[in-house]
Amino acid sequence: MPIDVGKFLKSPEYEIKITTYRDIFQVEALERDRFGEEYRKLSACIMMGRNDLKKMGLKAGDRVRVSNNCGSVVVEVKETKREEPGGLAFMVNSPWSNALVSGDTGGKGIPEFKNINAKVSLVKDEVTTLESLIGIFRK
Amino acid sequence: MVTCTGCGLLCDDIEVVVENGKIKETRNACRRGAARMRGCMNRLSPSVNQKPSDIKNCIRKAADILRNARSPMLFGWSNSTCEAQLKGIQLARKLNAAIDDTSSFCQGILIEKVLQKKFRTCSLEDIRDKADVLVYWGSDAQDSLPRHLSRFSYFPRGESRQRGYEEDRIAIAIDVRESNTAKICKGHFYRIPLKGDWDFILALMDALSGKVPSYDSKKMLELASIMKKAEFGAIFLGIGLTYSIKEDFDILQKLADMLPNINIMPMVGPYNMRGFNEALFKETSFVNRVKFDGKASHDSSYSIVEALRNKSIDTLLIVGSDPLSSLPRSAISHLANIPIICIDPCVTLTSRIASVTIPCAYSGVENGGSAVRMDGKVVELTKILTTNFPSDEEILTRLTEAL
Amino acid sequence: MVTVMELYQLLPRTNCKLCGEATCMAFAVGLLSRKKNISECTPLLEENFKKQKEILESLLLPTKGAEETGMIVHPELCTGCGNCVVACPVDVANDPHGAGIGRAPTNDKVIFKVVEGKVVASNIKECRRFGKNRVLCYACIDPCPVGAIEFV
Repeated sequence: MPIDVGKFLKSPEYEIKITTYRDIFQVEALERDRFGEEYRKLSACIMMGRNDLKKMGLKAGDRVRVSNNCGSVVVEVKETKREEPGGLAFMVNSPWSNALVSGDTGGKGIPEFKNINAKVSLVKDEVTTLESLIGIFRK
Repeated sequence: MVTCTGCGLLCDDIEVVVENGKIKETRNACRRGAARMRGCMNRLSPSVNQKPSDIKNCIRKAADILRNARSPMLFGWSNSTCEAQLKGIQLARKLNAAIDDTSSFCQGILIEKVLQKKFRTCSLEDIRDKADVLVYWGSDAQDSLPRHLSRFSYFPRGESRQRGYEEDRIAIAIDVRESNTAKICKGHFYRIPLKGDWDFILALMDALSGKVPSYDSKKMLELASIMKKAEFGAIFLGIGLTYSIKEDFDILQKLADMLPNINIMPMVGPYNMRGFNEALFKETSFVNRVKFDGKASHDSSYSIVEALRNKSIDTLLIVGSDPLSSLPRSAISHLANIPIICIDPCVTLTSRIASVTIPCAYSGVENGGSAVRMDGKVVELTKILTTNFPSDEEILTRLTEAL
Repeated sequence: MVTVMELYQLLPRTNCKLCGEATCMAFAVGLLSRKKNISECTPLLEENFKKQKEILESLLLPTKGAEETGMIVHPELCTGCGNCVVACPVDVANDPHGAGIGRAPTNDKVIFKVVEGKVVASNIKECRRFGKNRVLCYACIDPCPVGAIEFV
């Protein structure tokens, strides 16, 4: 049996800044069924510009682990269709992005939804399920 | 004609075709509005401790929980009618509870300044009829308030703007992301770095006062000149801006003071967030984050985020909101420790972990009432369909009685 | 919307090449994109294909206007914002107190309407890109941030 070399190589990690935004198609899916496949598909993703993807050796459709000291999620990579300045990724506002937002508001009550520091690395894992995001809250 | 409760624009020119007690087709509502009117696939059902129950028993159980609570919080409210919101405020008073709404981590701070008359503002009709300069700042109106540009701000032919948008109006976008709104503003898109709003304001203020701005001076001088020449302008403040300069909003006031012909209007996503802010402001002179205790105190520790972080509440009643979905996970572990009562038309992430769930009607579809549009205009909502689900207002009334 | 397969099934499927295309499938693609006309398939004009030709004509009829003005609407991209409804100069002229001032259209003379949250075009012959005095108008394309309307 051939040795799967890739298994032993940890994919490189890249620092990235993430900002969240709203998307009307995702809101439509949320209204219909927030537990549905459509909502997951439109939410559990990270958008990056072509140059950033190239730099990180990623392509649209890859899955990446996005993590920081607040949490970690596996989401799908998408390419923005626009020219991007680089170094900034976008995630639509959802439970997946909220897994990465810091709860520390400096006492002001407004979390940093739009200014997230995280590390991105290519993985083979499945996209994080909504169930696993709710799980720990069950009594 | 019915009113759409899809967003803070409360479009009142929607036509619906009803067949067999269901909405078969909507006309004139945008994609977001049409989705709201179609409703969700998973309606909430009454439950106590995750076991099926009936509404009467759920209300009794919810009353028991609230009666035994020492520091309850009532949260949500931006997807409820004004009438339900008033009932909620009364209930908070009666329980000596804390009350907060989603504006607490959204646009509350700006709406408060508008209600305190710290900004010059106007109605959306004024904008349609008179505005020549429109600035969308940290706001993707196209996706969040989809008919904003077509109904009110950029595209319509207003009373004194008869020649169409190409000649009569200038639309400007200031944003970190090239949003759909920014795409429409093509020649006037100012792309700023993350957290760059503060520097942008300072540079704009320099340009307005005749100094050479430190930052992108050519474009800043051009923008300042457009804004100075405005006959009737508007800056639409989105949450992108709010989140970016949350430390100090006085700088916005200073900017507004330099622009006498420009109105300031916060963008409001949820259909009746402004309604709640106005109602609480009228009663307590605060728009959110209030704790009743004979009197009304206001503090950031009464915000939903801080209250959960500090574990300072022991019960949470939620009406029409899903904090487990919309708040940072790292802030809300306390949700696992306390009893939660959920009143909502649909199953939500939070309802899945709630001790008591009470299904309610879809406001603006299955029950009428009133709501406050993002600019402060009161709009009547329409009951389009009949349902067996009680309205959230009715549930709150019965809950108050049960106490 | 009609698919290539549906059109293909109704063609003679002999790959006779009389229309100038290599295969009937290629001709079906041409029909769908309005680059080909039904009449270019001469075997279809024969009596034994009469029924199939009628069905083809009925399937392609709704896009006949699009054929002549070249307008194609992509409902799956549309956000239903109504920018095109309000910006279209024909809509403004035909409904000055409805669509013209940003409100819902008040009559059926407008080209654009939003149904089920997506734009629907009708009265295509009113479009300024159509007819004798046609002009190359972009009034519905420019205000659309998602590219839901295009002319081919």
